[in-house]
Amino acid sequence: MARIGVFVCHCGENIGRTVDCARVADALREHPGVAHSVDYKYMCSDPGQALIKQAIAEKRLDGVVVAACSPHMHEKTFRRACAGADLNPFLCEMANVREHCSWIHEDRARATDKAIDLARTIVEKVKHNRPLQTIRIPVTRRALVIGGGIAGIQAALDIADGGAEVVLVEKEPSIGGHMSQLSETFPTLDCSQCILTPRMVEVYQHPRIKLMAYSEVDAVSGYIGNFTVKIRQKARAVDASTCNGCGACTKACIQRKIPSEFDERLGPRSAIYVPFPQAVPNTPVIDRANCAYFKAKAKGATKAACGKCAEACSRGAIDFDQQDSFVTEKVGAIVVATGFQLYRIGADQPQGLTGYGEYGYGTVPDVIDGLQFERLASASGPTGGKILRPSDGREPKRIVFLQCVGSRDPAKGMAYCSKICCMYVAKHTMLYRHKVHDGQATVFYMDIRAAGKGYDEFTRRAIEEDGARYVRGRVARLYRDGDVIKVHGFDTLSGEPLVLDADMVVLATAMRPQPGIEALAQKLSVSYDQHGFINEAHPKLRPVETNTAGVFVAGACQAPRDIPDSVAMASAAASKILGLFSQAELEREPTVARVDTGLCSGCFHCERVCPYGAVERREIRDRKGNLLKVVAEVNPGVCQGCGTCQATCPSKSVELDGFTDQQIWAEINALAL
Amino acid sequence: MKELQELAARLLTDGSAGVVIGYEEGPRGVRPAFVTRPDDVGRLIFDPRCVHNLATYLSPRRTHLKGLGRPAVVVKGCDARAVAGLLRESQLAREDVLLIAVRCGGVMRHPERHVDLRAETVADRCTSCDVREPHLFDFVVGEAPAAPPVTDRREARIRELEAGSPADRWAFWQEELSRCVRCHACRQACPMCFCERCVADKTQPQWVESSAHPRGVLAFHLTRAMHQAGRCVDCGECERACPADIPLGLLNRKLAHVVAERFGHHPSDDPSVPAPIGSYAQQDGQEFIL
Amino acid sequence: MATAAESLTAFEPRITAFVCNWCTYTGADLAGTSRLQMAPNVRIVRLPCTGRIDPLFVIKAFERGADGVIVSGCHPADCHYTAGNYHARRRFAVFRELLDFMGIDTRRVTFSWVSASEGGKWRDVVNETVGRVQALGPFEAYHELAGRQG
Repeated sequence: MARIGVFVCHCGENIGRTVDCARVADALREHPGVAHSVDYKYMCSDPGQALIKQAIAEKRLDGVVVAACSPHMHEKTFRRACAGADLNPFLCEMANVREHCSWIHEDRARATDKAIDLARTIVEKVKHNRPLQTIRIPVTRRALVIGGGIAGIQAALDIADGGAEVVLVEKEPSIGGHMSQLSETFPTLDCSQCILTPRMVEVYQHPRIKLMAYSEVDAVSGYIGNFTVKIRQKARAVDASTCNGCGACTKACIQRKIPSEFDERLGPRSAIYVPFPQAVPNTPVIDRANCAYFKAKAKGATKAACGKCAEACSRGAIDFDQQDSFVTEKVGAIVVATGFQLYRIGADQPQGLTGYGEYGYGTVPDVIDGLQFERLASASGPTGGKILRPSDGREPKRIVFLQCVGSRDPAKGMAYCSKICCMYVAKHTMLYRHKVHDGQATVFYMDIRAAGKGYDEFTRRAIEEDGARYVRGRVARLYRDGDVIKVHGFDTLSGEPLVLDADMVVLATAMRPQPGIEALAQKLSVSYDQHGFINEAHPKLRPVETNTAGVFVAGACQAPRDIPDSVAMASAAASKILGLFSQAELEREPTVARVDTGLCSGCFHCERVCPYGAVERREIRDRKGNLLKVVAEVNPGVCQGCGTCQATCPSKSVELDGFTDQQIWAEINALAL
Repeated sequence: MKELQELAARLLTDGSAGVVIGYEEGPRGVRPAFVTRPDDVGRLIFDPRCVHNLATYLSPRRTHLKGLGRPAVVVKGCDARAVAGLLRESQLAREDVLLIAVRCGGVMRHPERHVDLRAETVADRCTSCDVREPHLFDFVVGEAPAAPPVTDRREARIRELEAGSPADRWAFWQEELSRCVRCHACRQACPMCFCERCVADKTQPQWVESSAHPRGVLAFHLTRAMHQAGRCVDCGECERACPADIPLGLLNRKLAHVVAERFGHHPSDDPSVPAPIGSYAQQDGQEFIL
Repeated sequence: MATAAESLTAFEPRITAFVCNWCTYTGADLAGTSRLQMAPNVRIVRLPCTGRIDPLFVIKAFERGADGVIVSGCHPADCHYTAGNYHARRRFAVFRELLDFMGIDTRRVTFSWVSASEGGKWRDVVNETVGRVQALGPFEAYHELAGRQG
């Protein structure tokens, strides 16, 4: 016979006012298997907890039920109290007679009856509780950061400075991300490269950071503290260990007119190239799709069609035969910082989107996007920092900026606000005025969203000091008329249509997650929203965690973010990871599934439904080594305890500790008439 | 017939199969045959009386058959779907079995009573089966048959039940289930009921009462039907095995309609088609959820 | 829905609710914290996730005298465990149609998504279910199975 103690809490008057706590305690005292039942004013207080501990010792209790508030409130408190009296904490459960009873009912008699029911139900459950041991998992004090933009760089440096090792994976040939493309940054107008480049070099030289540029995450397995990551190092066709970055190869290349990704297709690059002069690492890469050697080889040529770069290289670093290679890294935590891309009208339409053809992007050469404007304004850009039209190289005297192209538009684009556009458009108008003193910037906007320190002042400055003309309204269409672009808009404040002549138009297109984010998220078992942005574990209280323990998120892959936000998230993720790494072992609630391998038929429905890949296959063999059957086995480190496997298992050969079939059956049974 | 027998002889002679599982004439009609010697292949037959789903014998729980060596099993369209189900659910490895597909134009409802295949005598399931020749096989034998005679008996019965009130349906099923003696023949005959220990036999806790008490009977049939949803291959073995003539096919068929309409799932002899329960789509219908 | 005056004399149904720990249970906590008054007929059984909720639970609840059942969890895309609610949605979409086909009035079974912030919705789900089952009366057909002999 069980010896269960029931402790009914009055919670001052919170429970006692509507529930007759003494009657609950009396009723439970008569319940089979209850050895002790009392009520008390405040069970969670020190004297209340002492009451429980004393009863455990004196009455030799083998289970405790506290009828009080929600387990979300005080389950930990009472389990700790039980542990203090040498009773396994998982033999203690709570009956929620406050949130689920006294606070939501007025009829004292019926509320008391319900409280008795609830307490009995939990008593019946506890009769089937088993002592469980907290799960301890070792921690590999090494982190993987995916993405080498400003968020990834910040996270990597913070973690490495905190004393842990970091593997930083970047898919492009160089780290730096979009921030390296920017000319100046709001709201201070300081030079982007000037503040970013030293951080990039710091990453490169840091003794605890292993930089893997031109690499991608291929596969991820394991769980918090114990991930195994397979990384594909894409073949550069240049041996990084012998290359000294002299640049002779890029000068020798015969292909010189390939649109540069870094310059947003406004300037050329060679087939063997370094994306930009400050690239880290400064090792060139051969773009095989455009290289004469590889193009000829792909067509079946047996003789080398070109080899100018190899001839120019004094160190023999060019290796046309280099293949992709794979590296396996063990890490304890992962930061996803893959950043964003701009919505490119016509080029990559998210599912079901057809909109914005009327803005002529991609057909009218002087209609460009925000990042292209950054490259025009950048001193290191294709025009050396002069604002010149792509079509004829003339200086535009009238630029029209359109905000919210694709953002805040559930009908044609994305429903969300891209957050940074209001600020960078204001910045663009200022940069333009500073470079073209007689130029007129006109901005079509829906609202100006400039929330942030110094942000509103910044947009005011654009208008008041740098003469930007802001028109509240949208543009219906634009088209080329000889030398100019006719912009047909509507001023909603004056209520009048507006036709402007522009020399150049800049579209503030929506921020979207990087392509391929879904595939990466699936590898990591983290969820993402309908746009592909990674979901945080809780929007307010766990903003840099994901729903997979040990995987964190930073920067614009979670939602549109500006640089300060991205950096703050990265540092937050780093501090979470350093906190995780400060422990030698992790403790986890033992609510995990167990397979009865004797009963398991190996149909692996459980494997298919497990959101975490926690179900593994194990071969059962006889003593001679003959295979008897293959059964499912749950890796307790990976299992998060949802129990979907158990409900799916046709024969109920898997049990979720803490919520076993026997426990739930007992609860349902206790609710009988 | 000769083609089948010659193939069986060849497989047994060259050692690629240890046993050919097919059909033979028995003292009370057609019965499953287990031919291990090339000399005995003359026993093998195939005609519309061959209703049994021989995939049932491929369950790893049939350990007594293991000693006979690699089986070559005769499969109709419905049987091939069962083999695909066993492959899909890891009960069988493809290389552990040889499949002799027979071209099938339908089988009889009561092979012991009928002589020819007509709309009145055809098994209900054959009308809704469009597989004349299975896609999952190692060998195919037989002539290309005509499509089975058409009957609407089963679908008409489902429509009729659906048109009634819940109370009518309750009364109908209580009447039908009142004959259930919990012999579990439906389970034993089913190729997809292969659990080591059926949940209906679980005692701690006992979700399904084990006696033929109305409460346990209902729980058993609800559970059996649920476990078959999206997995049932519509071979009709449960209903054929039932000594009490409970129309289990109606339940299976109804749920087949549900998974087809809701999840676009149709029973398939392609093992790579996933079962609908155990997978999901974000846009699954949820009109029934508040 | 029954008014307070009616419910004094009306039949009081017994409703068993199977809810997930992270959304609906917490939503019900919020209803309590917000002091939202609701019918006292519901007894909650807490599970980690709707993915853990087995049709067997519903059958057993009816066997043990429940007049109605609530199954509730996280909205799509909100599942604490990523996908448990999606699996539950499929399972119960089928199970509900099976119950209906076998003659169990599905008005006795409520499925709902109630998030941790929807205390008001939880109250509405409870009151609506209680009112609906009250109108249907006791689930005598099922409960009588206990008294019948096989």
